[in-house]
Amino acid sequence: MTTSPGSPVMRTYRTLWVSLRSFAVFFALWWLLHWWNGNPLQLPSPFKVFEALGGLMREGEIAEHASVSTLRMLLALSLSIVVAVPLGFWMGLSRRAEEVIDPLVEMLRPISGIAWLPLALFIFGVGDTLPVFIMFYVGFFPILLNTVAGVRQTDARLLAAARTMGIGPWPLLVHVLVPSALPTVMVGIRLAFAASWAAIVAAELIGSPTGLGFAIEWYRQMLMTPKVFAFILAIGVVGYVCDLGLRSLQRRLTPWADGTGASS
Amino acid sequence: MTNMTSDHPATVWVRKLVLPVLLIAVWQFWASSLPAGSPAPAPLKVLQTLVDLLRTGSLLSATVQSLGRVVLGFAMASVLGIALGLMMGASQAVRENLDPIIESFRPIAPMAILPIAILWLGTGTPTALAIVAYASFFPVLINTVHGVSRVDRKLVLAARTMGISRWTILTRVVLPGALPSILLGTRLAMGVAWTAIIAAELAVGAKSGGGGSGGIGQMMFVFYAYNIDLNAIVVCMAVVGVVALLIDQLFRLVEKRLIPWKA
Amino acid sequence: MNMSDNASYPKLRLSGVTKSFLAPRTGLSTLAVAEMSLDIQTGEFICIVGPSGCGKSTVLNMIAGLDVPTAGHIQKDGQAVTGPGADRGVMFQDYALMPWQTVEGNVGFGLRHGTPGQHLNTMQRNQRMAHFIDLVGLRGSEHKYPHQLSGGMRQRVALARLLANGPDILLLDEPLGALDAQTRLILQAELLRIWGETAPVTERKTAIFITHDIEEAVLLADRVVVMSTNPGRVREVVTIDLPRPRAGKARTHPRFGVLVEHIWSLIRDEAYRAIGGDESLANPTQETTA
Repeated sequence: MTTSPGSPVMRTYRTLWVSLRSFAVFFALWWLLHWWNGNPLQLPSPFKVFEALGGLMREGEIAEHASVSTLRMLLALSLSIVVAVPLGFWMGLSRRAEEVIDPLVEMLRPISGIAWLPLALFIFGVGDTLPVFIMFYVGFFPILLNTVAGVRQTDARLLAAARTMGIGPWPLLVHVLVPSALPTVMVGIRLAFAASWAAIVAAELIGSPTGLGFAIEWYRQMLMTPKVFAFILAIGVVGYVCDLGLRSLQRRLTPWADGTGASS
Repeated sequence: MTNMTSDHPATVWVRKLVLPVLLIAVWQFWASSLPAGSPAPAPLKVLQTLVDLLRTGSLLSATVQSLGRVVLGFAMASVLGIALGLMMGASQAVRENLDPIIESFRPIAPMAILPIAILWLGTGTPTALAIVAYASFFPVLINTVHGVSRVDRKLVLAARTMGISRWTILTRVVLPGALPSILLGTRLAMGVAWTAIIAAELAVGAKSGGGGSGGIGQMMFVFYAYNIDLNAIVVCMAVVGVVALLIDQLFRLVEKRLIPWKA
Repeated sequence: MNMSDNASYPKLRLSGVTKSFLAPRTGLSTLAVAEMSLDIQTGEFICIVGPSGCGKSTVLNMIAGLDVPTAGHIQKDGQAVTGPGADRGVMFQDYALMPWQTVEGNVGFGLRHGTPGQHLNTMQRNQRMAHFIDLVGLRGSEHKYPHQLSGGMRQRVALARLLANGPDILLLDEPLGALDAQTRLILQAELLRIWGETAPVTERKTAIFITHDIEEAVLLADRVVVMSTNPGRVREVVTIDLPRPRAGKARTHPRFGVLVEHIWSLIRDEAYRAIGGDESLANPTQETTA
């Protein structure tokens, strides 16, 4: 190898190798546990799970449920953003607005989205709206809080500097405040995604005839455990891929900030 | 950003209360306008239900049951999470090897594990504990690892040059240094755990046909599917919220006590 | 843009400018600046020095229009200063560059979104931006972000931005304070060049420069305003009669050291007090009782 030990190429190979090794150990342990347990309904062998996964993918079932769940999540996230970001800007800029709206926010926030399920089920019934509502609710708060924080922590110096360049109030908002708050808002969106993706499972498990959450429960009732595992795997993978997408979006929109939303 | 003119405290209080009070009033007004037998929840009926449930003691016992499970599951997860987190933080090798597995499980929500937990442990308390423990584990672990990584390496080196044993370094230098992050992790974990228990009890209640797994979540489900009482559901939701707040405040208090040196 | 139409008015006039701050919780008011009066002519380079807390930055903020005097008034070209504007450009101590803009975006920020570039078309704006980026020696770095630049480079971006907006008064708040000593020497020379030390007086911008470094002040300024603290007021205005151009020559001029010592003698006692030291050590020629 002509590449030096510290080079990025070598490091990627090494990470890959370590990951592969860890997974191999993990699957080996899994298989041992399965063999020791002896009950394929409880703990199927990893091979069976992958077989089931392959079958489900070929039949298109994974794609079907995954796309349903993902679309719901995208819709909910977009709604949360559209509502929470402007509201957050308003609250961040106007102390009066914050005083009026914050108490309601702080009262609703501790009531987790899950706690809304029974009431929401009553209002919306089983179907598409329920998971979207729950996810919207869950995603709303991180985005709102982060937007307010992003606005608040705008460097007053930057605003002063802009004003000394003859920049008026509206351009100040658009060209200084928004970019300055954007990294923190993006962090909020990623947090919102993680929270809603976790919530969607519960919402679909209980209140929907389609989707990944529903599928897990459906196959459990049918005692087709390998498929249950397969769908759980799918949830993990889709979640991971979506987060990667969000991280990439974060890098595109806010190239000057690091992953935590800090600008230096 | 806006003018910090000192408003009269009374004006501030009015502004803070106006929205909630207004909404509740509108809600009550709307509910009163409905026909008499309507199941829709109304603020006054909610209060009445609250009093009833408190009197029968069922609200209290359900809350205690849920809390008990949360505390137990959280404790198990925290011990494991902190121990593992310290190890991972201290040793590059351990972290390298465990990281892929942990990062793979992180996007898998606690509720996704529920069906498996039911398969293995049935529909009772063990399942609930398992879900809570799984949910609490990750925040504690991740924050512990982060906390250890933020400990100034120079402090550790300084201790080594003074001939202090590795164990003592771990407990006297690394642990206190990582403590703020660890406590943050436990506070977050407790919040997640509380949400998880409600979800688990709700789901289990739905699947086991209302049978006795207890807890607030299950109680909510019963009021949804069996003794349909939306007002009671609202009461339960309020309890969930209040307990969540109390837990958070309690943890913040503990944080302040344990970390007086933090700004 | 740097012509004074009214020859009868000084470029900048401070009359009895006073600033006191009200602490919101305790209700106590602190007098930061007391009755400061000063006339500054077009094309002058003024340095303000003084011990910490003497209100130098406060005065600058008021001239910039970012703050309002509690009493007294500030006039530019005979007109009252009412708020910030592109005619009084500011260079801040920590640069205040927009982290999300590249060098080019920062230099052109005022031109694109503020008043300076209003009457220019895009091509003219780009030309202007390129000219000043070149002037400060940053050609080739146009597409870098601030976090990728060194302190000295960031400072030059701030300077380019300031100049691109074409102000007729330059306000500089300890612009070189965060740099290492060698970079500082380089930028001091650059600053003099860009300001127009070798050009005739009418073509120079008016500059007000705050610094802790007395030697820097003597090197750069036509006049040095020495302030005292508690409350902040003008102690003395020292005229620097060193010949221009100064870059590379002034420090070895015999008058240089004399001027520096004189200014230091005005500040010394208060500087010692500011660091909590023993004032009796401030004057080494006096006898101290063992």
